[in-house]
Amino acid sequence: MKRLGLGLLVGCGVATLAAGAQQIGSLDAPPVKSKQFVQYAAEEQTLHAGKPDVLELHFQVLDGFHVNSHTPNSDLLIATRMELQPAAGVKPGAVEYPAGHPYSFSSNTKEMLDVYSGGFTVRLLVTAVAGEHEVDGTLRYQACDHAACYPPKALPVHVLFTAK
Amino acid sequence: MKRSAGFLVLIVVGISMMLWAGWHNLRERRLAMQQAEANHVVLTPAKPGDSTQSGGGEDDTPKLRGKAAPGFTLLTLDGKKVSLADYKGHAVLVNFWATWCAPCKIEMPWFEELRVKYAGQGFEILGLVDDADAGKDEIAKVAKKTGVTYPLLLTDGKVQKAYGGLEYLPMSFYVDKNGVVVEETAGLGSKDEIEANIKKTIASGGGASAVGAGQARAGGR
Repeated sequence: MKRLGLGLLVGCGVATLAAGAQQIGSLDAPPVKSKQFVQYAAEEQTLHAGKPDVLELHFQVLDGFHVNSHTPNSDLLIATRMELQPAAGVKPGAVEYPAGHPYSFSSNTKEMLDVYSGGFTVRLLVTAVAGEHEVDGTLRYQACDHAACYPPKALPVHVLFTAK
Repeated sequence: MKRSAGFLVLIVVGISMMLWAGWHNLRERRLAMQQAEANHVVLTPAKPGDSTQSGGGEDDTPKLRGKAAPGFTLLTLDGKKVSLADYKGHAVLVNFWATWCAPCKIEMPWFEELRVKYAGQGFEILGLVDDADAGKDEIAKVAKKTGVTYPLLLTDGKVQKAYGGLEYLPMSFYVDKNGVVVEETAGLGSKDEIEANIKKTIASGGGASAVGAGQARAGGR
């Protein structure tokens, strides 16, 4: 009987592991492509529960491109900004944007823009109850290369973190 | 014996459920992570801002060069109708731009200067605003800042498609007096390149007439 029990235990365990492995294997399907000039580096983060803490969202601008910073030096240009949707157990606070760097399209102009290129990090101040959380948001930006600009874009951002 | 067997089965079931719950949770988490990571994937944009000629899209070949310029009738900021056909007999630069496009605003003062320089040879510019969200005030503000006095036309979505879709700005189409696209350029070029294209357009088809010049100017913004 003991053997039967042990066999059942091992059998169930193997079956469960196999099922799990199969499910995880199916996650390797290629993701849907979307035409964006900025990538979001999704990573799980752990924050302190019940008190304000900082979520860091890391973005990467495609090589050869730049996006306007949050303060692009002209009210006619579209600033990069992060919008968050409400999430249960998560109280959003201020959004902190990094400083940009100066950029000019032409040596013939004195107008310097303020842009992000390469990597940049947006910091979100949040207060969350203990547990696992998922927050959806959108990064709005407008990208250009050295000579042309592309229509404004919205990058969906799915943030996962655990508050302990 | 029966009792201990039942107890063992219960333990097995319990452990199995815990394992399943663990895997399920992991799967959900990984699914969510994968969804988040899906945004990592980017397509390389179609020949961005290469100041050599490009028709937009992944095909780098100019799509309209040598063809008849698509006709359009659009409204100026003050509501006057302007058609490309109004400029028959003139060399016309059709320039698509937007208020959010910084390089567009660099070349606009050059356009204005070159328009004045070549006006006597029947040259005109039409600025088509490819900017769905911009209000007339914003457009007028850019016009004032860049010194533009040539007609600025509000687009309707159809004209962009007719001119190849316009994935990025600025895009310019140089149309000769016969209504044929002599050259099309994507992105910010140099002032010299722009002037060379204007000269080429004026020369195309055996020069330009001054017919309708007064009518064309009357359609200003």
